[in-house]
Amino acid sequence: MAALPGELKYIQYEHSLESVYLPAIRALISKDLSEPYSIYVYRYFLYQWGHLCYMALNPSDSSLVGVIICKLEAHASHSPPTMRGYIAMLAVSATYRGHGVATALVKKAIDAMTHRNADEVVLETEETNIPAMRLYERLGFLRSKKLHRYYLNGNSAYRLVLLLKQIDPDAATDLSLDEVDTGPS
Amino acid sequence: MISSAGIVATDVTRRFASATATLPPGALIKDGYFTLFESVGALEIMDPKMDSGCLAPGESLDEDYDVTRPLLPSEVLGIIDQLLCLEMAWHLGYPLSQTLFTNVYIEAMLNPYPTTIQEADFIRPRSGEPKAPRDPMFSVLRAYCLGLLKACWYVNERIKFEHFYEEEDFVTNTYRRSLLDDIDRDEIRDEIMAARTLVHNIRHEISDDMAQALGFRLELRTAFLRAIELSELRSNPDSLSLPWVQMKALWDPIYKSRHLGTPVPEAFSTKIQRKLASTMPPRPIVQLSFEETYGHFKKLFNDGIDVLKVLSYSDSQSLLNFVLAFQAQKPQPLVYIRTLLQNFLFKDMIILGHLSIRHVIDDDLAIVVMPHSTLLDKSHDSVELPHDPRFAIAHQMELFRQRAAQSYLDIFRALCQNRCRVRRTFCHSIQDWETVQMDAEEIDQLLQIQLDEKPMAYKTSPMTSSDGTGASDPPAYSLPLSSWAYLYKLKLMEWIVQLGFELETYHPDELAGMYWYLSYLAKTRAQHVERIKAFTMQRLNEVRVGTNGGVRNDNRSGGFLTPQAEAQFTRSLSYLRATILDAAVTWELADALSYLYTVLQREGLVAPPPRPYSTDELRYDIRMKPFAPIGLPELPAYESFVRAATQPESGTAELLEYAARAVVGARKGLEVLSKLSEKEAFAVGGYKRWSDGVKRCMRTGIDAGISIERVRAAFAARAKAGGGEGGKGKLALKVEVPKPEKAYHEWWIVPKVEVIDVEK
Ligand SMILES: CC(C)(COP(=O)(O)OP(=O)(O)OC[C@H]1O[C@@H](n2cnc3c(N)ncnc32)[C@H](O)[C@@H]1OP(=O)(O)O)[C@@H](O)C(=O)NCCC(=O)NCCS
Repeated sequence: MAALPGELKYIQYEHSLESVYLPAIRALISKDLSEPYSIYVYRYFLYQWGHLCYMALNPSDSSLVGVIICKLEAHASHSPPTMRGYIAMLAVSATYRGHGVATALVKKAIDAMTHRNADEVVLETEETNIPAMRLYERLGFLRSKKLHRYYLNGNSAYRLVLLLKQIDPDAATDLSLDEVDTGPS
Repeated sequence: MISSAGIVATDVTRRFASATATLPPGALIKDGYFTLFESVGALEIMDPKMDSGCLAPGESLDEDYDVTRPLLPSEVLGIIDQLLCLEMAWHLGYPLSQTLFTNVYIEAMLNPYPTTIQEADFIRPRSGEPKAPRDPMFSVLRAYCLGLLKACWYVNERIKFEHFYEEEDFVTNTYRRSLLDDIDRDEIRDEIMAARTLVHNIRHEISDDMAQALGFRLELRTAFLRAIELSELRSNPDSLSLPWVQMKALWDPIYKSRHLGTPVPEAFSTKIQRKLASTMPPRPIVQLSFEETYGHFKKLFNDGIDVLKVLSYSDSQSLLNFVLAFQAQKPQPLVYIRTLLQNFLFKDMIILGHLSIRHVIDDDLAIVVMPHSTLLDKSHDSVELPHDPRFAIAHQMELFRQRAAQSYLDIFRALCQNRCRVRRTFCHSIQDWETVQMDAEEIDQLLQIQLDEKPMAYKTSPMTSSDGTGASDPPAYSLPLSSWAYLYKLKLMEWIVQLGFELETYHPDELAGMYWYLSYLAKTRAQHVERIKAFTMQRLNEVRVGTNGGVRNDNRSGGFLTPQAEAQFTRSLSYLRATILDAAVTWELADALSYLYTVLQREGLVAPPPRPYSTDELRYDIRMKPFAPIGLPELPAYESFVRAATQPESGTAELLEYAARAVVGARKGLEVLSKLSEKEAFAVGGYKRWSDGVKRCMRTGIDAGISIERVRAAFAARAKAGGGEGGKGKLALKVEVPKPEKAYHEWWIVPKVEVIDVEK
C-alpha cells in the first residue's frame, strides 16, 4: 500500500472525457470482476448519469486512481414512486487503497444524489467483500436482504440501503425490499 | 439480400453511416425501453470474454479430440470420476455448459439429437453397416453416460416442475441438447446391466480391482435411476429408500477406488460451448475436487433417505416441524432434494400422495384451535337443508378453507426455498396472512351466530399481559379461525427476524434492538396462545358437563367426553402447552441477549459506526419496513423501540441481573422442552433433528450465561476499584460478535466475551 501522491483531484465525469478516461475506468473496474461489462454498460451509466460519476485523479499526471459510477431514477414499483439512487460500480487502484479514496468518492456521489432529490441509495455487494461492506456501513448503509448466489461465480450478495428521507407511511404497503434484482455492482 | 413477397428491403448502410458520422464516439442513442438489463446483455465483437466466435491466434474452433481412439480401463474410470465432479457442480447450480456439456463423449452422444437408444452413442453406427464388435471400454463409458444423462433429465424435469429460482438455485438450460428425453429408462437400464456383465467377464484382463471399481460406478447409475423412479410413487418410505441406501453404500468404495483412474483432461473442453444454443462466450469448466464432490454426494444420499421420512404423515404440526428442521440444515439440502420434498408435499394437490388439503388443514385447525369441534364435522357436508345450521357451518368452513389453503400451503412451499428467499417470501406472506386473519374473523362472526356462542370473560394471564396486572378484558368470542391465522402470522414474523440473524443481516449494534423485537413478538405469541388455550379449556369443560349446546342434533354434544374427544382435546392442549413453552424460551433467550447487547453497547464494547449520512430513525424505517404494514401486532413506535433497546431507566448492574435471570428462565424451559416425547413435541418423523435443535439452544443458554457472568465480574471489579456503579474507564473485556455459522444456533448470536489483562 503506497502513500497517496499528494492531494488527489476529484472531478466529475462528463462525456467529453470519454476518450481520455473510459479505457482507464474500464481497466480499473474489470480488474476485480470475473465477468467483464461490455462498453454499453459503461455508456449506459455514463451517458445518462455522468454527473453522478466521480473520478479520483493522481495530481502529478492526472491518471485515474479511483472511480464511482451511479444512476438515479424513479423507482417504478413504488406508489408514490421514490427516487432511487444506485451505486453501480466503485473501484480504487490497489496501490492506493486504505486512504479513504473510496469513502470520498461515495460521499461525493451521495451528496450529488441528495442534491438531486434522491430518497434512497442502494447497491449490491458480494458477501465476501468485507472492505466494501465496512465502507458502506460506516457511512450509514444497512443490509436489507441477502441475495442467494447473486453472482455468476456462485457467491451471494447483500443489498445495502441508505435511506435519505422518511418513507411515506401511506406507501407502506409496498415492499421495496423485493423488486427484481437486476444490475451489476 | 433476403427478399420475400410483401417485404421491400432497402439498403440503409449509407444513410446509417452518414447519420452516425455526426455523432461523437460514445453517444448513446436509445429508446425509453433500453434498460440496464439490455446493456448488460450486449456483446462486444472481438472481445474474447464476450464474443463466442473470437479465437486466439492459431486457435481452432472445434475440439480435435478423437472419440474413437481406444481407451484404457483406467482412462474410462478417470473420465467417469471427472463426470461425477461435473454432475455435482451442476447440482450445486452451475450450468451444464460449464459442467457435463464440456465432455467430448457426451457432446458426441447428444449431437446430433439422438432419438433411439442406438443413436445415443458417441460412435454412431452407420446405417446399413453391420454392427462391428466394439471395445468393451466404449460400452462401459457409454452405458455410464446413458445412465448419467437420463438421471440428469429426470432431475432437471423435477426441478423445472417445482418452485425454484432459475440461475439463483439452479440452471435448467439444456442449450437445446437432449438429455435423452425420448429414450426409455428401461432400455438404458439394460445397457447398464449389459455393461456390468461385460466388466465382470473381462475382470481377469483388467484386474479385479478395476472391474469392481467400474462395476460400482455403473451400479450407482442404476440405483440413481431406480431412486428417481420410486420417488414418483410417494408410498412407504422404507421401500423407497432402498436405492438411496444402496448408493450410500456404494459411495465409499467408489471414493476409495478413485486412485485407479487416470485423468483424461483432453476429453473436456470449453470449446464445446460454442456449439450450444447460447450467446455466452466459453466460460471455464467448474472444477470441484473429488473430495468436495465426495462430501456433496454423501450429503445428497443421506438427504435422499431422510427426505422420504416426510411421507409418513402423523399430524400437520409434525409435518411443519419436519420441513422446518429439514430445510434449516447447514448446508441446506441440494435443490434436487428440495424440489423432491415439494413434489412429495404438493404433487397433484394431494399431500404426501394420499391426503387431501382439507384433511391437513382440518387436522391443523383441530390441533391449534378447535379440537373435537362441530365446525370440523364431516357429516355436515351431507346436510342439504339450507336452514339447518349444519349446512351453514359446512358452507362457511368451506369458504374459509378456500380462502386460507393457498396461504397455508405457501408456508411449506416457501420453506423449501433457499434461505434468503425464505426470508424474503415471508416478508410478503405476513401481509397475506394479515388479510387471511381479517377474512377469517368475518367468517368467525358468522359461525358464532350459527353456534350460538356465548362470549366468555377472558382473563389475560398476568405473566404475559402487557400491563402485568392480568386484568379481565370484556367478554370475548373465541374467534377460532382468525386466531389460527394470527398465530401463523406471528410465527412468520418471528421467523423473519430469526432468519435475519441467520443470514447476518443485522449489524452488531442492531442486535440489542432486534432481540428485543423478537422477544416482543414471542411474548405476543405466548399471550395469544394463552387466549386460545383458555377458550379450549372452556369448551372442554362444557363438553364434560354437557352444556356444549350450539348446534342441535349434534351427536357430539352428548354431555360426556368420548375417548376420541378426550384424545383430541389432550392433543390440542399438549400442542398449546408446547407452543407456549417454545415462545417462552424464545423470549427469555431473546431478552437475555438483548440486555447483554444493551450493556455492551453502553460500555462501548459493541460500537456503532459513525454513519454520517444516516439517522437512527431512518435506519429503523428500513429495518422494520416488512413489518410496517402489519396492523396487529403493530410495529412499535420508534421511540419505544429506542427505549427498549437502550433501557435508559435501568442501571447496568440491574440489566445484567435481568439478563442472568432470563437465561435461567430459558434454560428451565429448554429443560422441560427437551423431555417432551416426539408426540408431545409434534416432531414425529423428525424428532432427532428437533431435539438436536433444542440441545443447540441449551448450549446457547450456557454460552450466554458465561458471557453475562464475565461482564458482571468485570463490572463489579471496576466498581470496586473505581468507587461504585458508575466506575470510570473501559471494562477490561474484549468482545467479539461471532458469525452465525460459528454460533451453536444460527438464530442466537451470543457475543464472545474475553477477559483481557489490563496490567499490560
Ligand atoms: C472496496 C474498495 C473500493 C475500497 O477502497 P479504499 O479506497 O481502500 O476504501 P477506503 O480507503 O475509503 O476505506 C478502506 C479503509 O481505509 C481506512 N481509511 C484510511 N484513511 C481514511 C480516510 N482518510 N478516510 C476514510 N477512511 C480511511 C478506512 O477506515 C477503511 O478501513 P477499514 O479497513 O476499517 O474498513 C477497494 O477495496 C476496491 O476497489 N475493491 C475492489 C472493487 C470493489 O470491491 N468494489 C466495490 C463493489 S460494491
